[in-house]
Amino acid sequence: MVKLTINGIELEAPQGELIVETVKRLGLEIPVFCYHPRMKAVGMCRMCLVETGFKQPDGSVRMMPKPQAGCTLPASEGLVVVTDSEAIHRDRKGVLEFLLINHPLDCPICDRGGECPLQNNTMAYGPSTTRFIEMKRHLPKAFPLSQYVTLDLERCIQCGRCVRFTEEISGDSDLAFRFRGAEMQPSTFQLTDFESRFSGNVIEICPVGALTSAKYRFRARPWDLETSPGVCTECSNGCNVWFDHRAGKQVRINGRANDGVNEEWTCDKGKFGHDWYNSTSRLTKPLVRRGDQFVPASWSEAYEEILAAFADKGGKVAGLTGPRVSNEGLFLFKRLFSEAFGSDNVDHRWRSGPVPTGPVPRPLPIASLESKRHILVFGTHLAEDLPIVHLRVRKAWSQSGATVDVAYSAANEVERFAKASLRCRPGAEAALAKCLLGEAVWSGKATVSDAVRAELAGFNADSAEEKSGVSGATVRAAAARLGEGAVVLTSDRLLDAPEPPSAWKSLKALAEATGSEFVCYPTGTNAAGAELLGLVPDHGLSTWQILEGCKDGKIEALWLVEADPSSTHDAALETVPFLVYQGTLENEAMAYASVVLPMAAPAEQDGTWTNCEGRVQRFRQAIAPPGEAKPAWRVFAECLLRARPSTPFFNPGEVMEEIARVHPVFAPAQYSLLPEEGALVARESLVGEPAGGGG
Amino acid sequence: MSELLQIGAQRPKAPEPDSLELRFSPTAVEELEALKTHYPDLKSCVLPTLWIAQREYGGHLSPEAIAEVAHRLSRSYAEVEGVATFYSMYNTAHKPGRHLIEVCTCLSCHMCGAYRIVDHLEEKLGIKLGETTPDGVFSIHEVECLDACDRAPVLQVGDQYVGPVTPETVDELLERLRSNPDSTVVQLADAVVKVHLRDGKA
Ligand code: SF4
Ligand code: FES
Ligand code: FES
Repeated sequence: MVKLTINGIELEAPQGELIVETVKRLGLEIPVFCYHPRMKAVGMCRMCLVETGFKQPDGSVRMMPKPQAGCTLPASEGLVVVTDSEAIHRDRKGVLEFLLINHPLDCPICDRGGECPLQNNTMAYGPSTTRFIEMKRHLPKAFPLSQYVTLDLERCIQCGRCVRFTEEISGDSDLAFRFRGAEMQPSTFQLTDFESRFSGNVIEICPVGALTSAKYRFRARPWDLETSPGVCTECSNGCNVWFDHRAGKQVRINGRANDGVNEEWTCDKGKFGHDWYNSTSRLTKPLVRRGDQFVPASWSEAYEEILAAFADKGGKVAGLTGPRVSNEGLFLFKRLFSEAFGSDNVDHRWRSGPVPTGPVPRPLPIASLESKRHILVFGTHLAEDLPIVHLRVRKAWSQSGATVDVAYSAANEVERFAKASLRCRPGAEAALAKCLLGEAVWSGKATVSDAVRAELAGFNADSAEEKSGVSGATVRAAAARLGEGAVVLTSDRLLDAPEPPSAWKSLKALAEATGSEFVCYPTGTNAAGAELLGLVPDHGLSTWQILEGCKDGKIEALWLVEADPSSTHDAALETVPFLVYQGTLENEAMAYASVVLPMAAPAEQDGTWTNCEGRVQRFRQAIAPPGEAKPAWRVFAECLLRARPSTPFFNPGEVMEEIARVHPVFAPAQYSLLPEEGALVARESLVGEPAGGGG
Repeated sequence: MSELLQIGAQRPKAPEPDSLELRFSPTAVEELEALKTHYPDLKSCVLPTLWIAQREYGGHLSPEAIAEVAHRLSRSYAEVEGVATFYSMYNTAHKPGRHLIEVCTCLSCHMCGAYRIVDHLEEKLGIKLGETTPDGVFSIHEVECLDACDRAPVLQVGDQYVGPVTPETVDELLERLRSNPDSTVVQLADAVVKVHLRDGKA
């Protein structure tokens, strides 16, 4: 800690802390453009100028003759900073005058207008008149840089945030500054397509309207938007987002800060993937089948038909849920089946063939990856399956010096920074895991039981080439890097590989035997929640068995919640006598349904979601569901009430209290206790192991 | 509307690494391997490799040349393009002629008549600054101080300075260059590469 003085206030700050940050803590503001707290400071725009000086031994202060950039100035003992003097205001005016020389000031037709740092800083600190009468720079406007990002080069103030984002955060370096001086422009190579999984973030961090969203373009003025804090439900990372809406329609998604999860980034899948909220194929009314046709029905008619087919049918009925159902919905679904229908046939797992029970994730918190010495990414296309975990793994490498190895059967983005890429043949994951384990055992690095040892005969670095297509030297080096402080990271995509239980078992054994940690993140949005809430059959049938059961008549009624197995199990849906399809959108499965129930989307209800690391996060209702659509939990609660007299649940908060009673790990997730950043629910309950094939 | 624009717009893709036509000669590849050992990482190697490329691609750093450099150094295309377009001695904007005559028009040269030389060259060659003669022999560029003010007005051709020049000596120079079948632009690139190669050694 060092003592310094800011605007006459004496305070302590950690040595080396950047003055912009210190000042922020004081509740004062230094205007910035190029500085971004999550990227390296570069001092490019000069907006953050402050006066500085040093305390002399005799107590007097000697000020420096010229101002300095506050974003690159580290706190040091005796430093004196003035952020609010006449000179500084003159300097800021000067900097803004320079920045505006070439800026087109087309604010009225700029999407950024109203939430533009350049506008705001000009308003607060800028000159109110211009002395510039020369020609401005003219460059392409509204250039389509990608299907999502529109580039307006005239507006760019050359702060370099976008360029640094692709360099430092997403790591694809797809953007760079071309040319120099006033002509310098951020661009992809030859203005080719900006293909990045994270391109949307540059739109948010651009301090002007140079990078705007092609999807949001001209759709609203920011002051007309309402926003609600939400959670992205496109994958299991559970990124925190701002859900912007207008007149009940979803308009755009922006990143919301949560240091534990997504910091403040989003992936393009999430940022641009919420269009379906406004789709014309949203279901809005309960429908019941009359002959070949669906006729609109009331909810109670629909419930009656469903209960007639399901109630007390025991093992003859089954339910399958998709990934996008809230914890509350999942819990009540399971309860409905066990209490009202007497059936244990509920499952949430989607695999094309017989599923091993599991995956059971052991939720190493995403943020904790940063403190690891070494990470082996195995059997998963990380950037595709878990984009935000990918950013964290990259950050562990770029900022904390972790080493990373990747073992996958195709080209993938981790290879860009990995120490070694173990590119195995597709399907050879199990063999590769065994070779790694074998190598660790034979080299004396790991010890395993004799039984496992026997299974490993013939699996080692030397046989790796032939068994998996990865060179012996690579396997040897990769095995050597495991151990204390290392993590073996995979996702449930590993279970799509042939021989999933074997790959899983060897990988887990590899981690344990070498003293590394093991984590398998699920990829389905709320798969971790479903796992914790027991949406797996303890005694009943698994997904695959249920669908097979439909075909051979064992299952007489099937309830699909936001799940559509028609692409793989069309026959099952066609044969089953009674099918309920509950979902947000029309789809193929509907064709065979007896009853169709419209479901509210995540942002149209209150509820909680469990992300891949086991973090329960709250999503508050932002907009109303379309038509008569209802949240899944309410449908199950109402069915339950009709089938059995019981205490009704009036809101999801009450459901969560019940969940916490039944599953104590959820205790911290009760609404009154749940912090804004969510709560990591106990880890032990998630540790487990898949049994053999459940087919 | 905006969405339609974006979707309908032609968005060319960056070349796939496998589809690149690599044109570095075996010597160039050897030189590159030697250069790599001079630096702690490949990023530092971008500038000298661009010089190799400028030589290998006949004095012009075309997008293909830039892509090849990026590919050989495992950098992103955009990053290498950014570097190449920053420095004015890399010919990225267009393909220069066999001989690139760079006229210093900075202060000292200006006062000693640099623009008279420019006018003379433009008239003689029938082109403007920044252009190339149709036969592809000459290009003329204007440059900032060449650090040879004692020889003002001064020109640079390849790795040679010529000056002080007069319209008469410029004519002689043009004749000499016209009869030189080797590109002085390529020669310059080669000379720079050689300097880089020497550097790492004691
Ligand atoms: S486009 Fe925006 S973020 Fe990128 S350099 Fe220009 S002003 Fe900065
Ligand atoms: S914010 Fe400090 S120089 Fe840009
Ligand atoms: S001004 Fe021409 S060499 Fe210096």
